[in-house]
Order: sequence, then structure tokens, then C-alpha cells
Amino acid sequence: MAIFSAEHRRLMQMLHPSHHQEYSELLTSLGAFMEKEILPLSPKLDAGTASIKGPRAALFAQGMGQIPFPTEYGGLGLPFSVYAISVELLGTADASIALSVEIHNAVAEGLVNFGSESQKESYVEKIITGRKLASFALTEPASGSDAGTMATTAEKKAGEFVINGSKMFITNAGEADVYLVFARTKKGPSAFILEAPNRGLRFGAELQKLGMRGSKTHEVIFSDCRVPEENLVGEEGKGADYAKEILHGARIVVAALNVGISQLAYGKAVAYAKQRRAFGKSISEFQLIKEKIADMKTEISAGRLLYLYASKVKELGGDFSSEASQAKVFATEMSLRVSDEAIQIHGGYGYTTDDLHRHWRDARLLTIGEGTSEVLRMLIARRELSREL
Amino acid sequence: MRIAVCVKHAVDETELKIDSGGKPLLSGATSRMSTFDKNAVEEGLRLKAAHQGEVVIFTVGPSDSKKTMKEALAMGADKGVLVTADTTSIDTMRTASLLAAAIKKAGPFDVVLCSEGSSDTYSGQVPPMLGEMLGAAFTGYARKLEVNGQTARVERSLEDSLEVVEAPLPVVASVVSEINEPRYPTLIQIMQAGKKPLEELNGDQLQPAGAYRQASVVSMSAQQSARKHVMIEGSPDEAAAKLVEALIREGVLSK
Amino acid sequence: MSGAVWSYSENESVSNEVASAAADVAKGASAEPVVLEIGAVRAGVRAPGAKLLLKGPATSDVPPEVAAEAIAKASKQLQPAAILIGATRYGREIASRLAVKLTVGCLSEVSKLSADGNALAGERNAFAGKVVAKVSCALPAIATVKVGYYAAVESAGTAVTESDVGQVNPLVKVVSREKKAAGAVDLRSAKVIVSAGRGVKKKEDLPMLEELAREMHGALGCSRPLSSDLGWLPEEHHIGLTGVTVKPDLYLALGISGQLQHTAGMKDSKVVAAVNTDKDAPIFQASDYGIVGDLYQIVPAIRKALASRR
Repeated sequence: MAIFSAEHRRLMQMLHPSHHQEYSELLTSLGAFMEKEILPLSPKLDAGTASIKGPRAALFAQGMGQIPFPTEYGGLGLPFSVYAISVELLGTADASIALSVEIHNAVAEGLVNFGSESQKESYVEKIITGRKLASFALTEPASGSDAGTMATTAEKKAGEFVINGSKMFITNAGEADVYLVFARTKKGPSAFILEAPNRGLRFGAELQKLGMRGSKTHEVIFSDCRVPEENLVGEEGKGADYAKEILHGARIVVAALNVGISQLAYGKAVAYAKQRRAFGKSISEFQLIKEKIADMKTEISAGRLLYLYASKVKELGGDFSSEASQAKVFATEMSLRVSDEAIQIHGGYGYTTDDLHRHWRDARLLTIGEGTSEVLRMLIARRELSREL
Repeated sequence: MRIAVCVKHAVDETELKIDSGGKPLLSGATSRMSTFDKNAVEEGLRLKAAHQGEVVIFTVGPSDSKKTMKEALAMGADKGVLVTADTTSIDTMRTASLLAAAIKKAGPFDVVLCSEGSSDTYSGQVPPMLGEMLGAAFTGYARKLEVNGQTARVERSLEDSLEVVEAPLPVVASVVSEINEPRYPTLIQIMQAGKKPLEELNGDQLQPAGAYRQASVVSMSAQQSARKHVMIEGSPDEAAAKLVEALIREGVLSK
Repeated sequence: MSGAVWSYSENESVSNEVASAAADVAKGASAEPVVLEIGAVRAGVRAPGAKLLLKGPATSDVPPEVAAEAIAKASKQLQPAAILIGATRYGREIASRLAVKLTVGCLSEVSKLSADGNALAGERNAFAGKVVAKVSCALPAIATVKVGYYAAVESAGTAVTESDVGQVNPLVKVVSREKKAAGAVDLRSAKVIVSAGRGVKKKEDLPMLEELAREMHGALGCSRPLSSDLGWLPEEHHIGLTGVTVKPDLYLALGISGQLQHTAGMKDSKVVAAVNTDKDAPIFQASDYGIVGDLYQIVPAIRKALASRR
């Protein structure tokens, strides 16, 4: 089955009645590319025997980074939901590349929304076409979603900002050409564009992760790291708001990514259930297995609808923070359940085969990264409790 | 260098449904670029990259064939010429004569490329017919194609041998799928393909049907399979033993 | 129908097959089957009936462009009712060129040929074997005849008449021709074919299947991905629409999903057995015997079962 499936096609038709054919054509082609060029590499990326660089560059060359961005900055000007589906497909093809690309694109989204005209001109096209790899540096060893408490500082000195401190769990660190760094000035948390290499920029050892092993994660350390004054993004002191905004969009995409992971784990489980025999028949004929398959499928569909609904709300220009958080909480927790059941259906093979338990390991990250489930539930509740009935 | 590539908008055989009376449901079946034609388009683009010039896509088919042409344009071809005709009722020679007329009209071309056969009928007749009709050299089943000056050098893949031939331009060649790996169009190329020039010619006006009597399809029915469909159960050893026993019983396996 | 039914193939054994097809067609319509030879009479062409030698080309090894021109010249002179050409890669070119030169309709890839007074009729596969089409063309007509369908009938000593068609100067010059390298498999004559598909995980596992093929006195074939995409086996092993068409007594498909592109090349096998991990793989629809299982377990088990019978 093609990774861009008939189901996706029908959803595109629902969301975009007058342009769905064009969008489906684009996603069909992109899906076919991923299936041929990315999917087969995925076990090797997990095992560390292949590099993320080649396949990621090939994806950028196809236009994967350009989808939702305005045409004046080299984007394709396509709806956010088309981008979200493309990340779902990539999540199926390889979750760690999807993670790397999604964070990279989030930086471009931030610059498009909050950057100055000259910043947009200098960076956006280069980032979305993959000529410059971007990284998002917000989280710190002792501060996460509570961005207001960040300890990294930026001090204005003679036309420059001097950054000191460190950022933790940073995806694409070490490889990236551009970092969107959040640091506290006198006016509060602010966002800066930092180009690598920089004399004051260092990286900790590569972090050994449970999953998402194709992508690189490091601590990023700033010691008297100087950036020109004009690299301040937007207004000084508004960095925490910008980070929040950027992460709302990214959460939709992370939900899509986890639906993609679930889809592959589910596909493998179904294929195995049909093939594996016990007590003289295919285990797919046992009711308890059927129940698992029915539940997995239903949950995946629900996750997909949630992220597409949030995408549509974003496209329409409304406040989508609650919808994005709902999609992320549900889809990331769902993908843990689905990839866990996929292991269960595979029995001992599931527990002992990298290519089966990697889906669970990959899925495990994203109930934590880009806003933990706990923080997002608070956000949803706060948003819903303040809504007028 | 001017390069013509002929492609077909063919029914996707994997999606073709059969009705309860055993007839294929051709109307309403999904069509797409014939599987092997992408290799012909790719080879055209490679020639263009090496020699400059342009790649023009030719198709004979219903108006829906524009989808296939758009795909070829997205891959990088420069323009398309669609000759409209009801491909369900014309034979290979009529198809070739319409292609030849359109190619002459838009010509001259140095190289005309086709795939070895279409995925729906796989006759392999249109390419050599085109060669004859255009009065050009023809070489089929190319797995390597180079042009030096006014000469094409082609490695032909035959059933049990490899043949190297040389032919003067213009040359018509059919290619086998080993010749290259077709590229994937980028998203922007797909979006811009719709803006490339696509000319539509009416087949009957372009070239009235000749006096000869066309080969025709009298009827079509689903392939009948008389297979036994016996599924053998048991552990690997049991299943294998039962299979070997059955094959010996069938008399198809000597002991 | 009056006149003759001509048959030709550049390949000796296919030539004998096509002669059988021509005999079938001629029988129904009280016409005479005639086997064409070009340049020289070949010893391996032993079909019964008259032979017509087209003289002019110096040897019997003529490229398709020359063969088409020679047959067209003779045809204009002698006006046969039908010309049947073996559907090889050369043959398709010869027939297609002839059709244009003579402005005559041309059927392709046909079997079950017959003729009445007005038309040549036959059957062919379409849509990668999913559909059988009955096709027809008014006489005079040309057809390419499906290879491997007709049985050759041999006889010795037939009358040869000659016709001079003169020299032909082809546009395409043959620089070299060499036999394709590698195992030199002849899948078309193999009684047993063990065929490998994507279920084989790596090239290094193929010897296990080669061993099995040897133990079954058969040859190793494969589906397209293994030869064309992965390059694990030479093209000659590729069974399918664009590869070789086979009809062995036993076709054992191992780890082949059974896409139409593949089954088009093996569906006339006498008995088909398949091993695949997916119980819904389409190959089981094309099989007499199926085992749902991993070829890595089943193949050793089959080899054990075979050994225990020896």
C-alpha cells in the first residue's frame, strides 16, 4: 500500500474541495519518493549505520521544506494541512528524519512570522530549500516549557549581543548552520539568529537516545557567543511569546509525525497477524487480536482527524492552540499504545527485533518533547475553561 | 538537439476491476502513465542535459491523457502535444500514424524515444512502426543510448544477447527499463507543469484514417484461472513434506 | 482464403513454433503453410511443409530491418494471405515494419490463431494477463505469435523454392553482438523453475535457492525487483511481462508477492506452488499449492523432504 493512501486522498477532498486533486498529486509523488528513497534506509538510521544527511538533503531537494511557506520567500504557498500530511508520510518513512525536518521548518516558520524583512530575505529561502539546516534552541538543562525561567543570557555590548549559558536536548545541533536561540536580556526572554560556526558556540557529546536515533541531539553551549545586534528576532523581551507561537504550529506537525509512526507499526502488526499461526489458524482469526487491530486502526484515524482539524483551524486564522495541543497529546500517547500493541502482536519477535521495537522507541520521545503531555493538558484546560460558553 | 518522447496514458492494470459477468470495466478505470514510459522520458531528459535542446512529449489518447503529459512535463520535459483519439478502438498502426503525423508537424527531431511496450497491451509495435513511418533508423530495446555528432550508438538488449548498433540521426529508439532510474519530479516542478505549453490536436483532422483495415479487439474477458488453490498447513517440516508429496503426485517432480 | 500462410522467426526454435501456428491457420482455410528462410536455409528449422528461401542477404543472420525489407519485397510479389512472425524482440520489429511497408493490419502477441475466408483471429493477453482479448484482423494480415505457446513439429526434407529479393542496405549497422554473460539459463526449456522474489532478504541467500533448484533438476528465476532494481541476478532470470515468459511443469514461487507484471510471465505453468509470509499475497490466487510461511524456514524443510525421498 502506498504511504499516501486512499484515506489521505479522501481527507484532502474533505478539507480542500476545490484543490484536492492538485494536493493529492503532490503528496502522491512525495509519498512515492519517500517510500523508495527513505523508508528502506530507516532501519539503518536507527542502527547508526547510515547518515541522515543524504536522505534529508534529498527530501529538501524534492521540496519537503517549502510546502507551507509564502512564495515570496521561496515557499510553495500550500495549506498547512498539506504540510502536516507530508510530515505524517515522512513519519512513516522515517521518524527521525521527520523530527529533524519538522524542527528545522519550525525555525523558518518563526522567522516568517516574527523576523524582519531583511532576516526573512537572508534566511527563509535558504532554510526551506535545505541550503541551511536550522535548529531550535529553547530548552535548557533546568528549564523547559516554563521558558520564562531560562538562565541563558544575552547582554548588549557595542552593537552585539553576547550570549552565555547552555541549551539542552537540541535536535540538529552540531549539524545546523542556523540556530534560533532564546536568551534573556534585560527586557526578558528574546530570540536571536545565530549562525554557525561561531567562536563562542560549542556542543556537548552526542546524547544517546532511546529512539529517534537517526537525528543528532546535543547540548549547545554558549560562552561569550557574539551575534550582531540585527540578529535579534522581533522585539526584545517577546521571545517567550514567539517560542509559544512557534511550538503551537509544531505540535500539529508532531501529532502528524506520530500518526505516521503508528501507521507503520500498525501495518507491520497486521501483516504479521495474518501470517503467524497458532493453534492451527492464523492469529488474525482470534477475537482478542481482532480487537487490538480494530482499536489500533480506530485510534490512528482519530489522531489523523485531530491533527487535520487543528491544521484547518490554523489555516482559517483562528486560535488553534487548544486544538494543536489536543492533537499532540492524543496522537503521541496513541502512538505509544499502537506501537506497544504492535510489539505485543509480534510476541517475542517484537521485543527482540530492532525494526519492530524502534517504532515504540521513536514514539516515546514526543509525549515529552515540544511540550509534555502534562503541560499541554494544562494548556487545553486553561484554554477551555476560559472559553465563553 | 530536439527530442520527442512518446508516452501512453494507460489503464492501471492493478486497479482494473472485473464485473460479475467476467468483463473488464474499462470505462471508469483509473489510468496513469504507462509504467515503462517514465524510462523513455528520463532518457530524453538525460540526452537534453548532455546536448542541450528540448524535449517534447507526444501522446495519442483521450483528453484525460493530459494527466500523464503533465507528469512528463513535471519531470522536466518542455512541452507536450496531445493527439486526441479514442484509443480503445484504434490499432497500433493507427496510433503510430497519428504520432508520426504529430511528430512531423512539430519536427524535425533528432531522436524519438518510446518505451519497449505499454503496460496495458505490451505489443511493442508502435516504436518500430514510427521508425518506418518517419523514414528514420529504428533500434529497439535500448539499454544504453549515446549520441555523438550525427550518429547514435545503442546497446540493444535482446533475449540472449547484447547487440551494439550504430545508426544515423534522426533515430527512433525504444528503451528497456534497465536503461535508467526515472527521476522524481520535485513539488515545485509538479506545480509548474500545468503552466508549460500543451498543444491539443484532433486526431481525425490531423491525419484521416487510412484505407487499410485495422486490427480490432472482438471481445475481452477476465482470465480464467483453473488453479487448485490448496493451502498446505502445518509446521514448516510438515508443510514442506506435504508439498513435495503433492508435487510428486502431480508428476511434476522427478524423485 | 486463398494463398499461403507465411511464418518466420530469426530464432530457429521459435521458427518451428511459428510454423506450427501457420499450419493451424492454413488448415482451417485450405491454404498452404510456408516457412520463410532469409539468406540461407538453417539446419535447425525442421518444420514440415514448404520452405521459401528469400535470396539476397548473404547469410541467415539478418537484422530485423533487412528481414522486414526482404519479406516485404517477396510479399508484394507473391501476395500471401497472412504472415506470422515469432514475437521475439527482433520479431516484433520485423512484423511492425512489415505492417507499415504493406499497409496491412497487425495483431500482436497472439496464440490460438485461426482464419476463415476473411480474417485472421486469435487470442492475446491484456492488462498484464488479467484479461484475455479475442482479436481479429481482415486478411491479408500480419501477426506476432506468442513465444512458447505452439509446440514445434519436426520433419526432415522439405521442398525449398527460392525468391530473389536483392540486397538491402540497412540504416542500422550492427557493430557487435555477444551472448549475454552469466549462468546462461534457459528458463524457457526448464521443466522446473524455482523463482525468487522480494522475500529473499539479501543476495547472499540466493545460493540456498540455487541449491534447491539444482536438487529439483530445475533452473532459478526471479521477479523483476531482484534483477532490474537490485541487480542480484542477470536480466535473463527475470520472469514477467517485460522479461521471459515461461510455462514449466512446476513453478515454485518463493517470496514472490505475485504482482500482475510477474504472473503475466508464468501463468501458463502446469503446476504452480507458492511460499509467502502474507496469506493474502496475490500469488496464492495464481497457485495450485500454497504455504503461508517464511521461505527461510520452508526452503530448508523442502530440501530435507526431497533428500529423505532419495
